[in-house]
Amino acid sequence: MVVLGSVIAVLFVLPLWWAAVSALRPQRETFATLSPVSLWTLLPRGLTIGNFDRLFDAEFGRALLNSTVVTVATLVIGLAICATAAFALAVLHFPGRGVVFAVMVVSFLIPFDAIAIPLMSIFRDAHLENTYLALVLPGVGNGFAVFLLRGFFLGVPVDLAEAARVEGLGWWGVFWRIYLPLSRPALIGAGLILFVFQWQAYLWPLLIAPDPEMTVAPVAIAQFAGQQGVDFGAIFAGAVLTALVPLLILLFFQRYFTQSVSSSGLK
Amino acid sequence: MSTVPTRTSRRLGDLPIALTFLLPALLAAVLLRLWPTAKAVWDSLRSTALGVEPTHWVGVEQYRTLLDDPAFLNSLKITLLFGIIVNPLQIAVALALAVLFNERIRGAGLMRTLVFLPVAIPQSVSAVIWAVAFRPDGPLNGVLARLGIAPQGFLTSPGQALASIIVVVSWIGVGYWMMFLIAGLKEIDPTLYEAASLDGAGRWARFRGITLPQLRRQLAFVLVADTISNLLVFAPVQILTGGGPNGRTDLIMNNVFERAYVRADAGAAAAGTVIVAVIALAIVLVQFRLLSKGSD
Repeated sequence: MVVLGSVIAVLFVLPLWWAAVSALRPQRETFATLSPVSLWTLLPRGLTIGNFDRLFDAEFGRALLNSTVVTVATLVIGLAICATAAFALAVLHFPGRGVVFAVMVVSFLIPFDAIAIPLMSIFRDAHLENTYLALVLPGVGNGFAVFLLRGFFLGVPVDLAEAARVEGLGWWGVFWRIYLPLSRPALIGAGLILFVFQWQAYLWPLLIAPDPEMTVAPVAIAQFAGQQGVDFGAIFAGAVLTALVPLLILLFFQRYFTQSVSSSGLK
Repeated sequence: MSTVPTRTSRRLGDLPIALTFLLPALLAAVLLRLWPTAKAVWDSLRSTALGVEPTHWVGVEQYRTLLDDPAFLNSLKITLLFGIIVNPLQIAVALALAVLFNERIRGAGLMRTLVFLPVAIPQSVSAVIWAVAFRPDGPLNGVLARLGIAPQGFLTSPGQALASIIVVVSWIGVGYWMMFLIAGLKEIDPTLYEAASLDGAGRWARFRGITLPQLRRQLAFVLVADTISNLLVFAPVQILTGGGPNGRTDLIMNNVFERAYVRADAGAAAAGTVIVAVIALAIVLVQFRLLSKGSD
């Protein structure tokens, strides 16, 4: 079992390992060791940071910064929007709750990439091209994050909220002081969903933010494969840097992620 | 803040406060999802062909033209073929890995993370890495050469291009779906397994008799969410093959994107968008069927 698991894990991570190694060696070395395959395909001989130099000469730092700004903004705004909506749908009672829930579900489950093109012309009419706002907005409402949080909120005992209400706490107080602190695992899970969506974003930034100043990391890396040939060294260096942030976050939060999905039961 | 509700407040419930909680999400839903969807439908019913004539109402003409276009039909066919292969494959592998990494084995947490890692990397980056792997002089052919097998075309071979895309997309997605299934496995009551073991049920019998039925809800969810994300695969296709060779990997999103940006045919792209959205919504409706059945 251990052997099988290890072999599979290594197979999955092998392409990333090779990319990371190739980011640290000269490009000709990368291709000289491709065929025939040897140990040197996967181990670097002669380390260099030249690939990273070229990457940063092409303003990749800017792109990585843009990605980070956009993703962090999406996380903060997205969690606020999704959590408040989930709270209303799980805890509050009002006429038409079913209808609102249905509208929310249907609209958020319309796949975003499928409507990216009409949405782009709406954003253009509103002169939102090449703005952080345009990059952030589509990521803030996420049907799956709402589901996750609503499921978790439904599991919080109603007595807690009722007791707090009797003591004179308003609904915002109930939300802020009771539900949010109890829901940390679900919030981390929802945060990861929002994070992956935005960190991965490619089609939308390609459409709405063509300005080099506003390029995000995934698009910037793809641009190293241009008409004048492909700079693989720089691409791998970019891949390493782009992967590093989620890697650290995932290693840190992985336990919570599994926990939050399971305790919400994906309702 | 009265604890004894009046008649009006009972009828309205928490409506005013609920509205303030819901407003941002409702605005996002309407402005960022429903409006563009309505716009796609509207655009698809009008002709905007290259500015030759003023925009005018053409009804379902765009759809008729699109569904008569062999390239679009090919794209639908390729998307269907892709879906039929990639979805069962990914779910089966994700399930097998979930069961494996849910065992109490040393280092299971680290192994899980390694398998999960590809989803944390932008798909455009994954696609570029795989583009090198698939090169004629790339490492995959290098391994084949060591084994004495002739070099393969992979992305340039009409027979292998779609399979190559499937490998890349699965490498990216399998770990993600695995996590949801692991979460489901953790919910299963361990005493069920203990009882079955006492009754002499083997590993396979326990998997079929307990794991599968208990996982039904998560499996239904993963099935549909996975199907939708595979319907919308775009970056790997655009970077690896651009839909070629000869349209063999021309998945629907790539086709629609090309109509909009390479051929600047906004009307046809809108009609294509609507068709993709309708297919996706149909899949979502199936999801709710399965989920509501699962919770009985």
